[in-house]
Amino acid sequence: MTRGRLRAATIGVATVVALLAVWEVAVRVSGLPEFVLPAPSQVAVTAIDTAPLLGEHIVTTATEAVLGLALGVFIGWAMAVLIATLPTTGHVAQPMVLLSQTIPTVVLAPLMILWTGYGLASKVILVALTVFFPVLISAAAAIREVDADHADMVAGLGGTRRHQLWLVRLPASIPGALSGLRIAATYAVGAAVVSEYLAGESGLGVFIQRSRKAYAVDQIFVGIVLIAALAGLFVLAIVALRRAVTPWQTAPARV
Amino acid sequence: MSREPVLERAVRADAPLAPASPAGPGAALGSAPHPRRAAITVQGLSVSFAATGRGAEPVRVLDNVTLEVADREFVAILGPSGCGKSTLLRAMGSLLDARASTHGAATAGGSTAWMPQRDCLLPWRRAMANAMVGAIAAGVPRERAAARAARLFEDFGLAGFESAWPHQLSGGMRQRLALLRTCLSERPVLLLDEPFGALDPVTRRRMNQWLASLELADWIGEDGEEPRAVVLVTHDVDEAIALADRIVVLSGRPGRIVLEVAAQHAGAARGQRFDREQLLAALDYEG
Repeated sequence: MTRGRLRAATIGVATVVALLAVWEVAVRVSGLPEFVLPAPSQVAVTAIDTAPLLGEHIVTTATEAVLGLALGVFIGWAMAVLIATLPTTGHVAQPMVLLSQTIPTVVLAPLMILWTGYGLASKVILVALTVFFPVLISAAAAIREVDADHADMVAGLGGTRRHQLWLVRLPASIPGALSGLRIAATYAVGAAVVSEYLAGESGLGVFIQRSRKAYAVDQIFVGIVLIAALAGLFVLAIVALRRAVTPWQTAPARV
Repeated sequence: MSREPVLERAVRADAPLAPASPAGPGAALGSAPHPRRAAITVQGLSVSFAATGRGAEPVRVLDNVTLEVADREFVAILGPSGCGKSTLLRAMGSLLDARASTHGAATAGGSTAWMPQRDCLLPWRRAMANAMVGAIAAGVPRERAAARAARLFEDFGLAGFESAWPHQLSGGMRQRLALLRTCLSERPVLLLDEPFGALDPVTRRRMNQWLASLELADWIGEDGEEPRAVVLVTHDVDEAIALADRIVVLSGRPGRIVLEVAAQHAGAARGQRFDREQLLAALDYEG
């Protein structure tokens, strides 16, 4: 780790610690009841108490998010490549893509549950619907950026359309898809939780809904922290994946 | 191989603005052991592009260009920016945009390898893998291309950088690598579009000296029945003088041939092979 990054990390951690301290002091001084705003120390105690229950919920939500991410990335990437290869498919896909993005997940979720049941499938589809769009946009942009000149270069050396696809378009789409995936990873957990709100037997969304009904605000905060941690973990995993898959990219270009 | 055929070729355009003769310098190659067909034949080529704005006239880029590039010839096409010289080069390689409307024809006697202005190196391939793109696109067997690539890395001053990423190379090295990639296609007619145009003047001069020291055969191979040649597009008079056997000057848009001169004598120092003032006067010619 370079000096600059160490400094940045230190400042980040210090800020979080300071905010937690302010929160703790504010709750204690003002004497707010814990069913309105629990102190961070209270949340930590609850987290330890409920830990045996949480494992199952975390596994459910993580499974939905990972499967949804994988499905969404594949669909978004495949669409980007298809649109770059056959522009007509882009004109066909555009209205449907826009429609799928203008309708909020909360509205789509009941329909998905109606069509695919209360189980894993409906949540995976909802996560995939949220995830594929940023992947499609950034993979398509990456292909466009590299395309015209490089594809001409391949044609100028006698390459066919298939050569253009294999040598230029497909490789260009991968770093693009990965940077879309990094953005999507932050949404994926959220989308899984929202779909669990509406129907589900397990998952962090279900845990939070149950806690809300029981006025266990400290448990809601435990859920929030877990959602944030899960999303952070996904982002870190994807950053590591990008480093492994695109070793030519220098650190600043990878942001 | 040397650029000997120049000896036999007369200066064909004593006065500026002489029309290009379709007979071309190919006729002068009669003394060559195996007379071959021309490497490139451009016959009355006009190109225009549909206007982008509403109600605008189509843009005429080339106007009735007739030109022949002989086997084993190095021709430079010189012209001001935007005169259509890149379009002419693309036409020679059958790479014109579908939106271009053309009259006349540009045909190549052998298969062509085109090198764009930008190096167009693929950022996800290391230097050697980038060079191999030329062989892959042209369908050259991998082993043969790899052996030749190893030699050319030496000749092009890139030895030791085979596994560098493109972003780790300097501008001059990137251009040389792009040229190496073009050579690995083993296509006998090279079409170079301002290969060093993006470099700073000092590096460009150095590149041109290096390029002039290479012989054509080093890049495109000696064997094969197809005619071979190099066509270089440039807006730099000195680049054309340093490299070419023959210089064709295009007017501003729409590009027409205003001057065509062959090198004076093969024996003369490079600087004296062309009349620099005559070329500059032709470049300034308006209309």
